[in-house]
Amino acid sequence: MSHYLGIDLGSTTAKVVVLDGHGDIAAAEVVQMGAVSRAGCARALDAALTTARVRRGEITAAIATGYGRRLVPDVDRTFTEITCHARGVAAMCPGVRLVVDIGGQDSKAILVDSDGIAENFAMNDRCASGTGRFFEVLARAIECDLDELAGLALAGEKQLEVSSMCATFAETELISLLAQGERRTDIAASVHRAVAARTLGLVAQVGRHTPVVMTGGVARNAAAVRALAEALRTEVVVPSSPQITGALGAALLARDGAGARGAGESAVDAREPARSCASCDMSAAHGAGR
Amino acid sequence: MTAPTTDKSSRLAINKAGGKMVADYWDRIFTARERGEKVVWYNGSAVNPIFQAAGMAWCHGEAFSARLAAQHLEGPAQLAGQEYGYVGELCSYARTHLGCAVLSRKRATGSANGTGMVGLPEQAELAGRLPTPDLFVNAYAGCSTGQQWDDISFRVFGKEVPIFNVSMPFMWSNRPGEGYMVGEEWERSSRYVAEQLRELTTVLESITGRPFDWDAYRQNMAYLKQASELRQEAMRLCRLTPAPATFWDWIASVAHINFLPASQELVDFFAAVKAEIEQRVADGVGAIADERYRVYFDGFMNWNHLGLLAKKFARYDVAVVAGRYTHHAFWQEPQLIDPEDPLLGHAQNNLLCPMNHSTKTIERLVLRDCDYYGVDGIVFHSTRTCRAFTNPQRLVAKAAQEKRGLATMFFEGDIADASYYKDEVLDSRLTAMLETIDVRRARA
Repeated sequence: MSHYLGIDLGSTTAKVVVLDGHGDIAAAEVVQMGAVSRAGCARALDAALTTARVRRGEITAAIATGYGRRLVPDVDRTFTEITCHARGVAAMCPGVRLVVDIGGQDSKAILVDSDGIAENFAMNDRCASGTGRFFEVLARAIECDLDELAGLALAGEKQLEVSSMCATFAETELISLLAQGERRTDIAASVHRAVAARTLGLVAQVGRHTPVVMTGGVARNAAAVRALAEALRTEVVVPSSPQITGALGAALLARDGAGARGAGESAVDAREPARSCASCDMSAAHGAGR
Repeated sequence: MTAPTTDKSSRLAINKAGGKMVADYWDRIFTARERGEKVVWYNGSAVNPIFQAAGMAWCHGEAFSARLAAQHLEGPAQLAGQEYGYVGELCSYARTHLGCAVLSRKRATGSANGTGMVGLPEQAELAGRLPTPDLFVNAYAGCSTGQQWDDISFRVFGKEVPIFNVSMPFMWSNRPGEGYMVGEEWERSSRYVAEQLRELTTVLESITGRPFDWDAYRQNMAYLKQASELRQEAMRLCRLTPAPATFWDWIASVAHINFLPASQELVDFFAAVKAEIEQRVADGVGAIADERYRVYFDGFMNWNHLGLLAKKFARYDVAVVAGRYTHHAFWQEPQLIDPEDPLLGHAQNNLLCPMNHSTKTIERLVLRDCDYYGVDGIVFHSTRTCRAFTNPQRLVAKAAQEKRGLATMFFEGDIADASYYKDEVLDSRLTAMLETIDVRRARA
């Protein structure tokens, strides 16, 4: 049976999805890393292949995505997270129009059409404002584990001002709030609202469309989801495995044939900018389009 | 990970000769005092044909800042500008040029107005080579920083150098019957600026002690009209596929059309540009090796990264065929110039700065060019320290998406401050936009 591989090497996690020939998920793995890491990627890949009971050489097509996509060896090609998240989320949540993806170091809003194709997108600027890193800073400042943050934030009542755009300056701001005697729960809740407010800026760039799906590691944080829903004033759906949507999209693109190279493309380095698409084999007509 | 390094761009060969023309121009500026010439520092629109007719040497502030940035020599001037007191997050052209003012004054007088030069002294020589000015002329359209910049320059030189401000009305075009080059506002503003340019000639007479040479001015404007017509004709050839030249080629000749002396040499240069492009068209040669995408570039030039960007877009098989900065500025409406009576047409071209229009006009012009050049998308360079250029970009992007179905992307950078640019951001967003274009084509 054919198998298709999607690898999403993010800034802090490596995600791998193996699809069988029917398009069903045979394996999905998420491995936490310190930073973009080939070793972390290899661990996730090994685990996924073991679960799927398939050897690397038996994979029909493989596509990499994510911040570290160009570091992933032996793939047919790469795609940006934008394209892969759109494809993966549309498969998980048919009918989705807006994807809000908040990962470790970046956040993005993606407008998706009915075929799971990214119509438009906006990404955070260079700083870590409004990303998972922001929550790591918060956890360190209020001395708790990341997993405890949501519970603390959901118990918060008081609205505090957290205005810093920069995660480093935000830490100073949080320490100042602690020094003023503010409760950890209120600080946690306020930081979640601040991240949601940053995300609104991205959503504004592509338009507030519904249904909204939230993905990325931060989507596992119930308080972050609630804050975003309140900010957007609409329901925010979280897929059952919000971290693997990018890898799933990559695997689906591989299955669609986007990883296959046309006769004229054999010399194309997979690290070159992606030029293919979900339903096209990079025919010469692309170049002759105009 | 190593990105492919093959250079797939093929910029015009004439650019090399053009580069020497620019270098020669600046060398003459640096030695203007030795020839006994009066020196004017000016910012904003191209009033230089008037300075040329008056027999003065002219230094365009933004241009020198851009030159330093393109040569990666902007650091000492920017540090000196910041040390003098200019905020680091404001216009980097201004910051750089104010630093040049500080360094030039230091070089000329042995002091720096109480400000010591900081950092990178070994690179500071070029930044400090500008001859000190006898006059400031401000002619900024669509930018409030321009006036404040020259106000500070005025103070750097101890308030001893006279300053003349050409007030450029913003072109609102928001009444019925008004728009790009039409309407009562346009006519009134044109006359208003033309009168100020006339007044400038009398000020120059007082500076030089000589009558203004109107014949020389008319000749200068005739040369500029010819040069601009040739440039425009050459630009329009880039409508063809593959594009025979790109935005980066037009960037390479911005200096020539913007502030080099009006002369037969300038006309010959643009005739050569056009001839080379025509030859490429005849030979079927494109400006990039494998043109698969055509995009429009909206934003100021990122002077620190000219070569990098030209190669990068070519590597992605993207022909950047036109841009607001290159195509909506620099005598782009030569038909307005009457060489026998050039003041009005001069004023009008000065008013047509790409930052000096309402968003409605900018949108119309950008979409007009996108249609003409047949682009797949627009790349917006969000110029961090120039909000005058950046202000309307989101609205233009939305219009391009909704009215033309064009793909758009933004990347952050700057005109002269390299620290605001991040290569990975541009790579990711450009790749994502090209993927979107691919998908749309496949579905079409």
